[in-house]
Amino acid sequence: MSRLDCEEAVAHLYDYLKLELTPDLVEEVRTHLDRCCDCAGHARFEQQFLQMLEARVSKETCPNEVRARIVAALRAAARGS
Amino acid sequence: MAEPSTAALRSFDEEALPHLDTLYRVALRLTADPTLAEDLVQDTMLKAYRSWRQYRPGTNARGWLLTILRNTFINDFRRRKHEPVAMDLEAVEPHAIYRSVQDTDPEGTFFSQIVDAKVVEAIDALPADFREVLALSDIEGMSYGEIAETLKIPVGTVKSRLFRARRQLQARLYAHAVEMGYIKPREAPR
Repeated sequence: MSRLDCEEAVAHLYDYLKLELTPDLVEEVRTHLDRCCDCAGHARFEQQFLQMLEARVSKETCPNEVRARIVAALRAAARGS
Repeated sequence: MAEPSTAALRSFDEEALPHLDTLYRVALRLTADPTLAEDLVQDTMLKAYRSWRQYRPGTNARGWLLTILRNTFINDFRRRKHEPVAMDLEAVEPHAIYRSVQDTDPEGTFFSQIVDAKVVEAIDALPADFREVLALSDIEGMSYGEIAETLKIPVGTVKSRLFRARRQLQARLYAHAVEMGYIKPREAPR
């Protein structure tokens, strides 16, 4: 089995954290991270970044008045007006 | 022209309306303008409703709606919006910000000092193609495969856009954090 070097491991980090790698590659990245403190630190940093993004921005919701306007427009369309 | 029936309206309410928040957030990222985002979501929902019979119940309603949102944006909205000038990063791979902070802030605590509005501003300053994949993946949690299907682009393109979008966003957030004094810039190597 080929071993990943640091550059290759880092190139796969986001896909690894997003669970988007094939099982073979997951194993290779995990093996590399177990042995390389520097890349393991990098992985923790990228994980923080991805978590921060999701936590900050995914809580925005469609304002109630906009929702009401859209539902009203749908009802009007349903009546064929 | 015949509009969908009451039963169709009910199924639309059940399958499409729950995705309104997602559509709104993605519309905000695409337009980077709340007023345009509202119009874009409303137009999208009306179009989706009128073509509801083309939707196969129980399939991926979110992806179906997002495809309509995207087409509507491209056809009717893109020219109404002032697009930020793309940074010249298509060719240049931005370096990992981790390299700049690994000695001073390896856990990236500076991210938590940046206010929500600045995070949003930094995302909205990215080129449109980057904002789009970032919103779908890192904010809405869609898989790369689902994004590829929604945007009609190869999975490899989704990956490479995401990679560059995340790096570019980090660079912007880092620059902001340095500017605000949340983090000290790394001294230039002597």
